[in-house]
Amino acid sequence: MQVYARLSVSNEVSKMFLKTSFCSVGRALWNKSTVLRPQLPLLNQTVRSVATRKRFYRKTGILHSGSNFEITLDQRKLKTPRGNLFLVDSEPLALAVAAEWDAQKENIVQTSMHLSTLCNTVIDNPNNLNKFDIVQYMLNYIDTDCILFQSGDEDDLYKLQVAEWDPIIQWFCDRFRVDLHKTRNIGGPSVKEETKAVLSKYLMSYNFAALNGFVYGVDTLKSVILTCACVEKVISVEKAVLLSRLEEEFQLGYWGRVEWAHDLSQHDLQARLASTALFIHFNSTSNSIQIKNEMTA
Amino acid sequence: MAMNPNTQMLRSIISELRRASTGSLGDNPLFRYIMGQYRRNQTTQEQICKAREEMQFLANTYLCYLRSSRLQKEISEEFHGKGERTIAETAKMVGFKLPHDPK
Repeated sequence: MQVYARLSVSNEVSKMFLKTSFCSVGRALWNKSTVLRPQLPLLNQTVRSVATRKRFYRKTGILHSGSNFEITLDQRKLKTPRGNLFLVDSEPLALAVAAEWDAQKENIVQTSMHLSTLCNTVIDNPNNLNKFDIVQYMLNYIDTDCILFQSGDEDDLYKLQVAEWDPIIQWFCDRFRVDLHKTRNIGGPSVKEETKAVLSKYLMSYNFAALNGFVYGVDTLKSVILTCACVEKVISVEKAVLLSRLEEEFQLGYWGRVEWAHDLSQHDLQARLASTALFIHFNSTSNSIQIKNEMTA
Repeated sequence: MAMNPNTQMLRSIISELRRASTGSLGDNPLFRYIMGQYRRNQTTQEQICKAREEMQFLANTYLCYLRSSRLQKEISEEFHGKGERTIAETAKMVGFKLPHDPK
């Protein structure tokens, strides 16, 4: 989708050409990657729905309806791509989404609206996932967690990884009372079943919306451990992204920094992870407030 | 006098919000909400320690979100391909002039 967005300013003819060629290539790739997206419709439809639109509203706001909040664009109520009403149950989240729509100046760039994307995914649930599917995805992911693979041949990099990554691994082990072992060769680390059981219990305590946020975070950082550390507010978003890009930063020291590659990806990842952290926070605090009320009642 | 880090964070968030939003900040509901949260937490600062730390983390995260989104947009706008260059632009890039240009 980002590829398409980048292409969209070239002239009409090449746009048509690129659109068709990208779709055929994209669809071929799509059929192969079935990890969490088994039931998505044709890519063509998806591409069409993110085509650039002009901003068509002046003011954005929120409405309080029952225990939920809706977003308004002038007089219209915001809807999801599937046509469902856009509803969230947290006021700050609704305000942040409204601000996100307000931040679109001339065109509506939906690829940059991470909070809206997350809410849409939860409301529409385009992949028909349930909590168990998501938790299973995360449990499988921890086998290839990026901070458990440390450099086997570059000693300077290894030292840096030990200094930066090991405290986080240690925190994870202490927090969940589990045992994790990193690896320095291509054979993956073996994560014990007990570890996965503990992690599964922890993740199941979050609601469906927050778990969707977790998946977004894990896909951003390529690490379940770093995502947990950020969600638990142990490390800041900037720090988590830095740790996830540690090898890139190390190589930058030798080869130099290129703004349109390194800075761009850094800010992209930071925006994604920050939106995830906010999303999980707002979706889990409202939950805990409800539980407390139930207990006192 | 050094500014209180919380105040500094609030000012950064407001400045990012001002850049992001289209209308005036006064009728931005998010701005009013954030100010309300800051005031409320100011009064209970000493009592609920956990909430304050959580608030600082949240404020920092939201600031990071606004700032990174803006910087990412700025970088991609700067380096985004703008289609084909004209002959004059291409010539200028390699230090040539067109035949009818003054020497």
